[in-house]
Amino acid sequence: MKRIVLKVAGESGMGLLSVGQIVSRTLKHMGYYVHSDREYPSLIKGGHSNVQIDFSLKPIHSLSTEVDLVIALDRAGLLEYLDIVKPGGVLVHGYERHHLIKDLEERAKKRKIKLLYLPARHIAHELGGNELMINMVLLGLMWRVLGFDLKHIEAPIKKQFASKPKLLEIDLKCVRAGYEAKGLNIHEHKLPHPKTKPKTIMLDGNHALSLGAIQAGVRAYFAYPMSPSSSILMHLANYAHETGMVVKQAEDEITAVQMAVGSMFMGTRSLVGTSGGGFDLMTETVSLAGMIENPLVVVICQRPGPGTGLPTWTSQGDLNLAIHAGHGEYARMVIAASDPTSNYELIQHALNYAEEFQIPVVFLSEKVVAETQAMVEPFQHKKIPIKRGLVTKPAELQKLTKSDRFKLTPSGVSYRWVPGSAPSGYYANSDEHHEDGTLTEEAQPCHEMYEKRLRKLKAIEKAMPEPVVYGKPKGAKISFVGWGSSKGVMLDAIDALKEAGIDVNYLHYDYLWPLKTKRLEKFFQENKNVHILEGNYLGQLANLIEMHTNRRFTGRLLKWNGRPFFLEDVLNYVKKNS
Amino acid sequence: MTQVIKTLSDRKNDYLKYESKEKLTWCGGCGNYGIQKALERAMVIENIKPQNAVFFFDIGCSGNGSDKIGDGEVTTFHGLHGRVISAAAAASITNPKMKVIAEAGDGATLSEGVNHLVHGVRSNYPMLFILHNNENYGLTTGQASATTRPGFKMNASPDGVTAQPMNACDFVMSLNPTFVARTFSGDVNHMTEVIQAGLKHNGFAFIEIMQLCPTYNKSTSATWFWDRFRNVRDLKGFNPQNFKMAREVAQDIDKEIAMGILYQDLESKNYLEHLPQRQGKKTTLVDEVSHVDIRPFLKKLA
Repeated sequence: MKRIVLKVAGESGMGLLSVGQIVSRTLKHMGYYVHSDREYPSLIKGGHSNVQIDFSLKPIHSLSTEVDLVIALDRAGLLEYLDIVKPGGVLVHGYERHHLIKDLEERAKKRKIKLLYLPARHIAHELGGNELMINMVLLGLMWRVLGFDLKHIEAPIKKQFASKPKLLEIDLKCVRAGYEAKGLNIHEHKLPHPKTKPKTIMLDGNHALSLGAIQAGVRAYFAYPMSPSSSILMHLANYAHETGMVVKQAEDEITAVQMAVGSMFMGTRSLVGTSGGGFDLMTETVSLAGMIENPLVVVICQRPGPGTGLPTWTSQGDLNLAIHAGHGEYARMVIAASDPTSNYELIQHALNYAEEFQIPVVFLSEKVVAETQAMVEPFQHKKIPIKRGLVTKPAELQKLTKSDRFKLTPSGVSYRWVPGSAPSGYYANSDEHHEDGTLTEEAQPCHEMYEKRLRKLKAIEKAMPEPVVYGKPKGAKISFVGWGSSKGVMLDAIDALKEAGIDVNYLHYDYLWPLKTKRLEKFFQENKNVHILEGNYLGQLANLIEMHTNRRFTGRLLKWNGRPFFLEDVLNYVKKNS
Repeated sequence: MTQVIKTLSDRKNDYLKYESKEKLTWCGGCGNYGIQKALERAMVIENIKPQNAVFFFDIGCSGNGSDKIGDGEVTTFHGLHGRVISAAAAASITNPKMKVIAEAGDGATLSEGVNHLVHGVRSNYPMLFILHNNENYGLTTGQASATTRPGFKMNASPDGVTAQPMNACDFVMSLNPTFVARTFSGDVNHMTEVIQAGLKHNGFAFIEIMQLCPTYNKSTSATWFWDRFRNVRDLKGFNPQNFKMAREVAQDIDKEIAMGILYQDLESKNYLEHLPQRQGKKTTLVDEVSHVDIRPFLKKLA
């Protein structure tokens, strides 16, 4: 079975999300692999948006543009989405004024798209419901088109509306009415049913990151709401009663990052999340963390800039920002997540690295990674140890003196201890300083302390894992290098192209800075047609690699319109370049 | 006062732990000498060991004391301009077993980081904040601040300041604070007493120290302040638990300047005490860093 692609389109506030959640949950319970994201404008009500659900018998890691079935909840949904339905596909709608859409019907006929109409508004009202139940009627009709048994979807609907028992009854009637609609010429899909049910969980990247933070012992989260990072704040706040975590919505991003620094300074684990614009405000503090060698982890959920840009769309445009932000020179690390599992695991590593090396770590996510609902294996407990690099043994704490805190060491990493845990204190000084933190402006000590901080880059680079190859180990017809969400679409493309007889491979960077080049060099040696795949205009990772190596990419597959890479973007590019 | 001297004498070993061997770099006659002394005294009299406190300093003349307090046992944090309240606030809720003291000048507190003051007061973090108000930007050589009095010619304001000055205590009083005090850098005893009270307060204790700056602020000299210094204790019928009265006496900073604890809410509950998830917790966030089991949460996602 090839993947089936569904889209629910309508005005925000018409219940698209509930339909999306019900369908995703049902398909998951039936044993399908589901992958779902939504496109929406930065408005709460009234803007046009959609939820896309791809499902298959095999794991899915990206979205496709080959839409099989659209539910249009309103006129705009009908007009705007007809052209994205693939030939032979179906569009289900409830738009009553047919004389206004004659040309649309013509267009549909020409492209062999089947329009299925049901007077959904009328049906909903007749059953005692309201405008908001149009979605349930059309959901029933869609379920029929898919050829699935009604019983599968009833339980998830009951779960979705459990808090509104009166309306639930009408909701169920509406779904049934749509499902059992008479007089329509419906060709039901005959989809193979999964034989087994994969043991998975379904969640988005921000939720996974939140769970990773909880698991890793983060005890304080600070943020100022900003799309698409805001749901981390929501998740951690919702879990706070069970975790005891302090979750603080700060008055601005500067406060949030200062609080994260102050909190880490005192010896707990904290985290701060934002998007590019918020991170701009934080950068002076990131630089401070570099100076006073204070651990700090900042999550940037990327969206397209510059300026306010596209608040609710996706981007990989902030890699340069992550690597270069903040005045002065200092050691830092940049890590990027690509899916829920990597969000869960890498955030734990990020916290470990930040504490062990006493550096700021910038953790990159993207709207499409942060908000896409994906199915992954259940996360493991205690898989990743907590490494803090703190002096904790009483005998060692007794021996510490203030000059140990910023001692000039070969690796650049000095002793760090929780204030109050040792007889000795120290000065964490934003001014250039001696080993004990006292201010100095003398040339030699300034030279040495500056160098000590940057010496860490080598130690960090050594400790970091190399990028990983997916697909054919070597000698591929076409190869890609990428980071973040590039991974998901490449995993699907590798599979799809293998079936078409084209060998593809992909080198993925989780750890972006300091740049690892050993595995990359080997990859270039073993593959002769290497391209970059990233969601920005400049080719930021490509430029970074070309700056630090003598390698050159054969081509660049870039995208910067706020949309993620769809499977077909890669398939078409490969067709032209292999 | 004799009692203060006696206590300091009895605890001279404790006091010495707050003394520094470093050379102080403030101008002669700067109010910061007195402020640092008063703070050290208050710490000792309140019996707070260096291991049980952290001092947060902003950038500016006041911040230049950050590595000149203590000699090995004291921990300080000298961060960014305007941001000291945020960093210290986090520290105070991260480890409420430690006393957190933050200090900043009028530039940081009322211009660069005025939002942090607003929300620090609103949030009632368990910390002491000391505003060094010398009515100008000293370290950048005498530019006007938000408290510079109108008409005064300052560096970069050669025609005189035209903006209206802020009254720090009056401003804070508008935010429903739980502790507001005003004192004067020329009176170490008065400062010590006020800081002691601030250290004991459960919540955000705001202390404005009207500070001498003999180098750049010649208009409000020590004599000028002494002429206007009015100890609230001497005000007829004054009661620091009376919010209305406090708002009233806070207003005058020209003729008769009320000094002392202007307002204190003795029932104050600090930020952490309002959080349901922290009720009954004996540990601090520092003690709690370990794997937290997320498996119960995963069940809901299956």
